Amino acid sequence: MSVSSGRKITQILGAELDKLVTLPWIWLTLIGTFILNLVLAAAFTAVGLQGAVGTQSMLNIGLASMRYLQAGFIILGILATCSEYTGGQIRTTLITIPWRGFQLSTKHLALALITIPAAVIIAASGVLYTFIRMRDTAVGFEIDKMIEALLGATGYLILTTLLSAAIGAILRRTTPALVVLLGYYFVVSPLSRDFLSRFKKYFPDTAGYYMYIPPSPDEINVLTPMEGTGILMLWTLIFITVAIVFYRKRDA
Amino acid sequence: MRAFNAELSKLFSLPSIWLAFLIGAFAPAVVAALDSIAQKEEIIAGISTRLSEVGYIGLGFGVQGVIILGVLAVSSEYLTESSESGGGQQITTSLTVVSSRLHFLLAKACAVTLISILLCIVAMMTIVPTTHFILGEYAPAFEWSRLIGAVCYWTFTALLAFGITLLTKNGIIPLAVLIINSSVVSFSVLLSKISRLAFYLPDRAGLEMFMFTSDTFHTPSTGSFFDRFHTPFTGGLVMFAWVAVFFIIAAIVFHRRDVAA
Repeated sequence: MSVSSGRKITQILGAELDKLVTLPWIWLTLIGTFILNLVLAAAFTAVGLQGAVGTQSMLNIGLASMRYLQAGFIILGILATCSEYTGGQIRTTLITIPWRGFQLSTKHLALALITIPAAVIIAASGVLYTFIRMRDTAVGFEIDKMIEALLGATGYLILTTLLSAAIGAILRRTTPALVVLLGYYFVVSPLSRDFLSRFKKYFPDTAGYYMYIPPSPDEINVLTPMEGTGILMLWTLIFITVAIVFYRKRDA
Repeated sequence: MRAFNAELSKLFSLPSIWLAFLIGAFAPAVVAALDSIAQKEEIIAGISTRLSEVGYIGLGFGVQGVIILGVLAVSSEYLTESSESGGGQQITTSLTVVSSRLHFLLAKACAVTLISILLCIVAMMTIVPTTHFILGEYAPAFEWSRLIGAVCYWTFTALLAFGITLLTKNGIIPLAVLIINSSVVSFSVLLSKISRLAFYLPDRAGLEMFMFTSDTFHTPSTGSFFDRFHTPFTGGLVMFAWVAVFFIIAAIVFHRRDVAA
């Protein structure tokens, strides 16, 4: 059957979106992340209210839960690609869509489409909560700074999700992928901050960190949000490329 | 006893279990080495405030090995096989062979406990030479009480992971929550800044069994990672209470639940 390539893309994208939307775990993860984020925002706000705050620190407090929040998006990315390998769905997928590189790229695209609204809502809800609670204590609040930070946070979450999806596609099993990624983001990375301070800012999570945290004057050599975005995007693209190369070579 | 052997053999044949062993046995030494290097200058200058616990922080992170172990022990039973090989779950076979559910659960828990204890001893044996190698005479002395505390912490954490996974039947949630919570950015540490009740959370209380052994009870702001709240013994009791509660709930739920649903 010959189908025009434009139509092919829409059909594959539709199929990938359909698969993602019907995964119950995706919804559980998103809802769980949303609730967790509100709880954490409440916790950070409670800590923040104990001290005096200005505009800068209010944004920081609102985005402080991002550290934990990214776990939900990492899980999302891993689930999206690893779910193909549980129960042999991958073979059905490849019979219907025999263009492997094409299929995996479309999967990442579909994942990005789902992540965008989720990331916006979840990141904004945390900042909004902090804003409502701390409105009286913070003075001279700038809305454009907040929008900038929110855009950065959304971009960071999307890129992190895609990065996790690529790693999931390389490792193909949920548990090792989860352990490797969570271990890196939550244990290795914070621990190695003191030892590799010169190279640290080029690592995916630290580069991404500068996407949403406004640069503070007391840190030298920090990246601008644009540089941070570029580096994280480069990492993501590298991992996606590696995943596609492996995917094309490997047995299903 | 045969059920116990079977559980051990099932655990050892899991491919992902080697990840758990690797993390449990070697990660503590790596963290200890990094921590010792970072602290060395301060110790020689005599301004270090956490002299007696340098390196042992590795045990707090290496615990992730046994978290994986506890989670995998249960979640592997519930993993659905591919539809091409029947779409079955191992739990059906396991419960056909060992028909008493409590018996099955105890055998599994014992297997997890045994491996955690061994893994913790290995971790301790890698930490002590590492700190001695880097710090020389400044290395904190090896204490048996600390080994016992660390073993208890690891075992309880593994059983906690075991109990939670038994309730969720899927490894993702317990793995994510427990790994994040045993890291630097733990929820419990955050919560303990808000409410004193958070000191009674299992990981926060359990850590006191082997960390913070320097007697900093009366000085509120020390250089230690956290301030001390419980004595090692009460910390252990608090954590044990959590494990017992989770385990009993999980056992009751498991007993009443349909096999694989």
